[in-house]
Amino acid sequence: MKKKIFITLALLTIAATIIAGYFAGCSSRDTSASKAQSVQVAESEHKKDELRYASEANVAFEERNKGISQERANILTRREWTNGSPWSTLFSDNETEASADIHGPKGKASIEAGPSHGPVLGTAPAPTITNCVVTDPKALHYPANWKEIHTKRKGRSKPVPVDLFTVSADEVWVIVKPKAQAVAVDEESPGSGAMLAKLPDEEEEIPLPLKHTDVKGQISGYIATVEVTQQFHNPYDEKIEAVYVFPLPQNAAINEFIMIIGERKIRGIIRERKEAERIYAQAKSQGHVASLLTQERPNIFTQKVANIEPGKEIDVNIKYFNTLAYVDGWYEFVFPMVVGPRYNPPGSTDGVGAVAHGKGGISGQKTEVQYLKPGERSGHDISLAVDIDAGVAIEELVSTNHAITNSTEAAEKRTVKLSSLDSIPNKDFVLRFKVAGKTLKSALVTHRDERGGFFTLMLYPPEDLKYLKRAPMEMIFVLDCSGSMSGKPIAKAKDAITRALKKLEPGDTFQIIRFSSNASQLGPDPVPATPANIRKGLEFVKSLHGSGGTKMIEGIKAALDFEHDPDRFRLVSFMTDGFIGNESQILAAVHERLGESRIFSFGVGSSTNRYLLDRMAKLGKGAVAYMGLDDSVAQVVDPFYDRISHPALADISIDWGGLEVTGVYPSRIPDLFEGRPVIITGKFAGTSDTTIYVSGKIAGEAQDFAIPVNLGEAEAHPGIACVWARKRIETLANRATYNASPDLPGEIKQVALEYSLMSAYTAFVAVDSATKTTGDSGVTVNVPVPVPDGVRYETTVQN
Amino acid sequence: MKKLIAIVLISVSMVVSVGAQQGDWDPEPDVENVRFEPLHIYVDSGDSSLAAYQFELKDSAGLIEIVGVESGEHAAFSEAPYYDSAALANNRIIIAAFNTTDELPTGRTRVATVHLQIKGDAEPDYELELTIAANADGDEIAAEISFEKGEQK
Repeated sequence: MKKKIFITLALLTIAATIIAGYFAGCSSRDTSASKAQSVQVAESEHKKDELRYASEANVAFEERNKGISQERANILTRREWTNGSPWSTLFSDNETEASADIHGPKGKASIEAGPSHGPVLGTAPAPTITNCVVTDPKALHYPANWKEIHTKRKGRSKPVPVDLFTVSADEVWVIVKPKAQAVAVDEESPGSGAMLAKLPDEEEEIPLPLKHTDVKGQISGYIATVEVTQQFHNPYDEKIEAVYVFPLPQNAAINEFIMIIGERKIRGIIRERKEAERIYAQAKSQGHVASLLTQERPNIFTQKVANIEPGKEIDVNIKYFNTLAYVDGWYEFVFPMVVGPRYNPPGSTDGVGAVAHGKGGISGQKTEVQYLKPGERSGHDISLAVDIDAGVAIEELVSTNHAITNSTEAAEKRTVKLSSLDSIPNKDFVLRFKVAGKTLKSALVTHRDERGGFFTLMLYPPEDLKYLKRAPMEMIFVLDCSGSMSGKPIAKAKDAITRALKKLEPGDTFQIIRFSSNASQLGPDPVPATPANIRKGLEFVKSLHGSGGTKMIEGIKAALDFEHDPDRFRLVSFMTDGFIGNESQILAAVHERLGESRIFSFGVGSSTNRYLLDRMAKLGKGAVAYMGLDDSVAQVVDPFYDRISHPALADISIDWGGLEVTGVYPSRIPDLFEGRPVIITGKFAGTSDTTIYVSGKIAGEAQDFAIPVNLGEAEAHPGIACVWARKRIETLANRATYNASPDLPGEIKQVALEYSLMSAYTAFVAVDSATKTTGDSGVTVNVPVPVPDGVRYETTVQN
Repeated sequence: MKKLIAIVLISVSMVVSVGAQQGDWDPEPDVENVRFEPLHIYVDSGDSSLAAYQFELKDSAGLIEIVGVESGEHAAFSEAPYYDSAALANNRIIIAAFNTTDELPTGRTRVATVHLQIKGDAEPDYELELTIAANADGDEIAAEISFEKGEQK
């Protein structure tokens, strides 16, 4: 009762951020109960048909296999499922074992061949199949006459035209969900031990000012609320200013900033960036404790804390919301822990420099990250805990880079904690969890305040996309061979290209481009994916290694600046860690040169530049995948090929029914691929229940489905308004990379100020005006960070 | 007296302008000529428990910029209050907080400290309006708002 009264009070009298705060305080109490009811499920007649066919097919399949050996069953399955497929071209003659995915008339099977398969490239006979596993169980469940039934009913069995295989620029598609589970590392191994530093007037070396980072995440459905607390202290005998450059997710909507001095909590104020910087400088010069948070890139931030007196501690608490990526039932929560060393082209000054600790200023860049030498540690560690309330049962949960502990209090809830043995912040924390249930459902989440109604809608693709086959491709592989990729990252990337080359089909063509300080390629033009050419490509890949700078612009030019083959879908795969500082130049080049190409970016390494890779995929109308150093190449490459082996639901339009919808992002709804939902956010008016109709085309034929909306039962989340505003800022900022309109910065600033959000043009500042420290403002101490796990200090950091 | 204290009592819907020291001030002071001062905000809810409040702070001379808002003295208001960012974008300072627990303050309590940057040497002419105060049942209650200037409380 009290809560309802206060909600009413808040709605009537308190402004937006205040309401958000109230709801945030109550979120643990009131969101979970309504979540299960909030999922809007649209189940079509077609779906019911599929379930019936599946039941019939299972019976038929089991009957067929009775009384025959596994080998015989495999052969029969292989014949049935690969009839007519050119599978003999998929194995190289020197391999002792190989595997490949085959698309037969009934779906997909994974074929494994043993040592006896012999030379098969070119005109050689078929290999000896040692196993044949149907990897697409949905396809397996169809009865023998499924194609006829499906064709009769849907008329959609023909190959899909090239022009339907497109993805909008507005929404990024993350393909891969590897399941590798990290194990704890030994903190006493090389690399441990606190880094010490000495101030100019000090005699002894002492620890650095950032002691600890504490991260607390709360996941409700597909929205995360994260609080990051950075604990600074001053171990020196004189006052200091601490400066720390750190990463956050590129889609984080940062809307709260609190400076904590003992028991006192001072909320920071969002201001125009220049004004905030001026206020901070003035407070610092007058001896007040002050803090300033600025954004250098959408995923790189600088925290400054001024006038920390000797022996004193000051905490800074940052809160943000972000939406989670989702593919095939897996959600992904990412917390980046360290900024990877960026390469900046000669002459640039607006980049992010990577310099050795104590060598500040030598990069000439506006922002600099100071790195520890191998074997050094700063003494800074991290604790992280995430409470998950998925709303539906959680079936699996993995952390790919870090050791974790997790406890279960209910089927749909988990509490995950970073292991204390894995508290060195030198790689992204990546947590993935699989939820139960089929994916043909669309979840609507809403929030209302005096600014109106806000919503996010997770729109799922129709399930039958997976039974249709793709068109021929022109595949361009672009491999980053710069110094930061040397060692494990380039080895992973080469493995990925090798595997991808073997998955090309007759009718496809391909090209391989490498870049570092310059670019070169396999040949002048893409070549047909013949066995001989694939062998040449494999040899070329094998010869590549990492060294030199990262002139990605050369790779972009080489990959996009040649004539498009109109008979093929051009797909450009960038394999890179993205460690560059001139992101806007790269993104502008992608926008200018994209043409008919689609860019699929593969992030390789433990702490990739996700902002750049995501943006390349978005602007490139493609998708992004991330491959950690411990991830299986197959787990990254195979899902990618699964995805591109099917067409999309294209030309999507939405009839919002009784909802009066404005400010919808992405403005152009991306094509829906199998297993890949799209999050749409917007503002709405109206209170009555309605039905949303989604229309599109598959292979030129119209299809639509309905999503009933019950606003009374839709989940409410206080972060929705911020998510919407962050998306608007992102859209405007993206436009600014290729549009020099003088109005764009003003528009971004206005949205950021109104919604209290960080942006390139706004910053948070907090000043303790009630106390004044004595003396000058002291020495500035930069917090050095370790290079990301797997990245070589010697080849990436200026010294 | 080391601290300059000005106390203003304001009823729920009434705005009272407090004429602090009215010195000669430059309407467009040098941006570098600034100082930082806190303004401690008190709400007196009498015998009623205070569960929520909202106030608006103005300076008729236009000298102040808010640079932080700090938590209050009672445990119920120990979290930093919220400010209305949309209003701030239009140069209005609106601050509020609430608490739904049973441990709530009565009488006069410091609910917030507003940290300000003041341009020039003149004293701001503060106006403080309590927009609403409410008890734990969500009912509006009579209360008075006042402020004190000075160092840390």
